[in-house]
Amino acid sequence: MPKSIILIWQLLRKHISIFELAIFFVANLIGMTVILSGVQLYSDIKPILMGDKSLIGSDYLVITHRVERVGLNSKSFSNEEIEALQQMECVKSVGGFVASQFEVDGSIMFNGRKLSTMLFFESVPDEFIDVEVDTWHFEEGDTTIPIILPRNYLNLYNFGFSNTQNLPQITEDMIKSVTLGLHISGGSRADNYNGYIVGFSDRINTILVPYSFISWANSHYANVESKAPTRLILEVSNPSEPMLTSHFKEHNYELENKPSESSKALFILKVCIAIIICIGVIFCALSLIILTLSIYLLLQKNVDKLENLMLIGYTPKRVAMPYKVMTLILNLSIFAISLLLIYIAEGYYMGYLSNIAGYTLSSSPTTAIVTGVIFTALVVAFNFYIINRKIKDISSKHD
Amino acid sequence: MDKIQLYNVVPEIFAHRENLDSDIWHKEFCFEQGRSYLIKAASGTGKSSLCSYLYGQRGDYRGNILFNDENIATFDIDRWCEIRQREISVLFQDLKLFGELTALENIEIKNNITHHKSIKDVESLFEELGIGDKIHSRIDRMSFGQQQRVAFIRALCQPCSFFLLDEPISHLDDKNSDTMRDILLRESKQLGAAIIATSIGKHMNIEYDLCLNL
Repeated sequence: MPKSIILIWQLLRKHISIFELAIFFVANLIGMTVILSGVQLYSDIKPILMGDKSLIGSDYLVITHRVERVGLNSKSFSNEEIEALQQMECVKSVGGFVASQFEVDGSIMFNGRKLSTMLFFESVPDEFIDVEVDTWHFEEGDTTIPIILPRNYLNLYNFGFSNTQNLPQITEDMIKSVTLGLHISGGSRADNYNGYIVGFSDRINTILVPYSFISWANSHYANVESKAPTRLILEVSNPSEPMLTSHFKEHNYELENKPSESSKALFILKVCIAIIICIGVIFCALSLIILTLSIYLLLQKNVDKLENLMLIGYTPKRVAMPYKVMTLILNLSIFAISLLLIYIAEGYYMGYLSNIAGYTLSSSPTTAIVTGVIFTALVVAFNFYIINRKIKDISSKHD
Repeated sequence: MDKIQLYNVVPEIFAHRENLDSDIWHKEFCFEQGRSYLIKAASGTGKSSLCSYLYGQRGDYRGNILFNDENIATFDIDRWCEIRQREISVLFQDLKLFGELTALENIEIKNNITHHKSIKDVESLFEELGIGDKIHSRIDRMSFGQQQRVAFIRALCQPCSFFLLDEPISHLDDKNSDTMRDILLRESKQLGAAIIATSIGKHMNIEYDLCLNL
């Protein structure tokens, strides 16, 4: 079998134009490298900008009713309002903020002094939280409560308060090691808990505790079911969607957090990457056209030989084999070289990105490999289809 | 496969011709395995067309051709390739050899898919036909008579029920023609295959079972 392939190859390779194949090779290599580096770059940068929560970019908005008169309780969201939001196409999910209905006293031993303050807690469903921690849960009977603080509280302390009060600046890790004494009271009950800061959120601007704790504690201490939420968090596909903005205006909702800088950056990044990928696709499409023409021409030049081979008993499959092997080798080497280039490039830019991010980013060209495999498979399948079709044309002349 | 039946077959271009005086065109005829046929024809009577129809190379005829009661018009390319490997062995009038390959490579390219002859068998056939010294020569450097013998050897590199020989000795002298006949009779006896040979004048010295005028 291999010997017969060698012999047919010897027969059929004659009209192969090295020039045409070289053009295809270079063009497809460029196209493939551009596409793969685009997706790889995107998957490398994305976690820095948004924490790799979801594959498709989404953004979070926090909304409240506009405060109209001082002194009144802020208006809560009714079920109908929530449902209306949920039904909008650009809204992926809606979660309510649930506030604590009991009293909380927090105290901390700091530099030999006991600092104590009144606190409040809020909670949102877990899927809206941008901090990933294993200890984010509470069960009845637990004496510790995990807490997530907004990162800007820490900044406020470090860059505002500590400066003026001659207090030392503190790091996230320091805070995480501190135990917070919590005295919780309501109705006729009062208990002490230990609170631990387990993380800092960039997304949610409140003192967060697990949802399971709030709902239990509200009924336990305040003897009330959790009230209808006064703030909502929305996961949206595009925060600047006009439909969304007009809906907010119409219902007098106020946006608490403007789309973040990172989400704008992410959007720009997406546009850039999309442009890069488009350019890559154009390159690849052009190279495919070149290869297609080249294969057609090659088969056309060899049409007599192909006919003769089939007349002495060669099946179309067998005569197609050398061409298929050729395109397979071409495409696999393009893939391999392209991957190597990206691997090298990634090594360079990941160091740079790690500097920006402030922590070491692991570099692995997984995205490029997966995309490349799919892409190569598509190109090879297309090549095979062309070869089969042309050979069928030649063979069917005799049927 | 043991019979090739022709029902009212006529090439498309002869379809409107009246008074065709032929033993085959517009007739019912059956080639049977194990027998030998000589088809005598003047040029332009459709001799090569008949061969192309029987070999699935062309389909521009009217009427029906059946292999073992199966209409060949329904065969696809894969079926034809199977027939060309196992049932019908053909010696084309224009030989259809590959000029840039050597004589031996031309044989191998066929034998590689059928594995019918050993290299030793092939070598001794070259010797027998007087072209033993040409085995490694490129086909396009050989005379037509020599090429005809190479094509003949290639035709022997497969099992078959029918040998279809289109003017097999047109460029051979009597001695070579007799050698070819001896080999052909030997091989066809071994395989129990029929011989269908065409000729426009010169033909192999065989006692044909049937001579037909096309």
